[in-house]
Amino acid sequence: MSNTNTFGPAGLNLHRFANPGRFLRLSGAVLPWLAVSGVVITAIGLGWGLFLAPADWQQGDAVRIMYVHVPAAWLASLGYVMLACASLASLVWRHPLADLAAAEIGPVGAGITAICLATGSLWGKPMWGAWWVWDARMTSVLVLFFLYLGHIALVRAFDDQQRGYRAAAILALVGVVNLPIIKFSVEWWNTLHQPASITLSGAPSMAPALLWPLLVSAIGFNLGFAAVVVARLRAAVMERRIRALLLARARNDLQNA
Amino acid sequence: MTRKRRRLMVVLACAVGLGSAAALTLSAFSSTLQLFVAPSKIATEAPRGGRVFRLGGLVETGSLQRIIQNGSPGASFRVTDGGASVSVSYIGILPDLFREGQGVVALGSLQPDGSFAAQEVLAKHDETYMPPDVADALKKSGRWKPGQGAPPASALWDAPDWNQAKQAGG
Amino acid sequence: MNHLSFIAAAYGLTLVVVLVFAIGAWRRGVAAQRRLAALDPRNATTMPGDAA
Repeated sequence: MSNTNTFGPAGLNLHRFANPGRFLRLSGAVLPWLAVSGVVITAIGLGWGLFLAPADWQQGDAVRIMYVHVPAAWLASLGYVMLACASLASLVWRHPLADLAAAEIGPVGAGITAICLATGSLWGKPMWGAWWVWDARMTSVLVLFFLYLGHIALVRAFDDQQRGYRAAAILALVGVVNLPIIKFSVEWWNTLHQPASITLSGAPSMAPALLWPLLVSAIGFNLGFAAVVVARLRAAVMERRIRALLLARARNDLQNA
Repeated sequence: MTRKRRRLMVVLACAVGLGSAAALTLSAFSSTLQLFVAPSKIATEAPRGGRVFRLGGLVETGSLQRIIQNGSPGASFRVTDGGASVSVSYIGILPDLFREGQGVVALGSLQPDGSFAAQEVLAKHDETYMPPDVADALKKSGRWKPGQGAPPASALWDAPDWNQAKQAGG
Repeated sequence: MNHLSFIAAAYGLTLVVVLVFAIGAWRRGVAAQRRLAALDPRNATTMPGDAA
């Protein structure tokens, strides 16, 4: 597996859609739309939630923290699903873009999980009376945060970059077991955190006036997350090409000297 | 192709093994993963007196009394889970959301007389969110008494007539 | 608004983290594109737009 130079002919033929040049062209066309729609839709959702949506009957205005906390929480898990998919594609199919994608999703996922934890804390103090409680929901989301941090560290832990990617991918796949624990923690065990208001099986236990801005914010957050990840992945692909070019140039100089 | 398939099979086998190991571990430690103990659980197997634990349930309607002990404000109330209830005393400031019918999680210990002395009281709200006018309408029309539990399902909030709404599946 | 400080802190914190990530990604993309263009002008010209 000395497939470090993925720009070689083998990489190009085996992975038609992983062709880095093709990826750069495609993502370059998509990225402006992702970025603009993410900013606009998030601004609409958050503005709606902050200024237009009604307060909650018992929580008052503190419920407005929901419009950042809940999209961040959904995205923390969804980002981890993306990380796991990239890791699977890397381990099983040796997809040349998958390692780079996983390495770029990790820090963004950690950031959004940190937002989820911090805004949850800022919501919990005025409503529940505590910044933090070690209940199953909060603890499992903290574990998710540590999985992201572990992934970030493992990618950079080895001199051999491929070994780092491999180890990080294994960690990411092992960590998938935490996702159903986060989702069902509020049903399997008693927690301070309330159960989900929005379920697949029944009507949401949230008034439409509060639900709509939440859904708009969530869509905006997802688009923004995708834009940041795509932008980072583009940069990573270009950086890899720069390293390959510099390496080739150094080799040339060495032969000519 | 076969190497890819083999790698996929290895990953899947690991996933099955890891998943079942996690499920077994979680079910074995299920009781320690609970944040709080319900009153009916205390009625059957009471924790030793003096041991600090969390008690959780709903504040029983009509049980809340504000008290003052040595000049500090506090409250005494009963926490119920429908099956049993435990009386709780607490000196300190209650969270904003504290009220009768609301969920609470109290940290403290059982006293020799069977009551619970709380050091900390947290409010646990349910997953229902609605504007004040909807809550007022539900209360005014008699469809919901906040002191007696959760509000009706959101699908029934707009129902013009409560009896009609009940027939619709309330 | 009641609990305004908590709401402001939550939104402010979110904005700061998002801006750090967005600006970081954008600057990284611009820098990489510039270096690539300097190294290999032929390939760099085929890539449209930067990470804006």
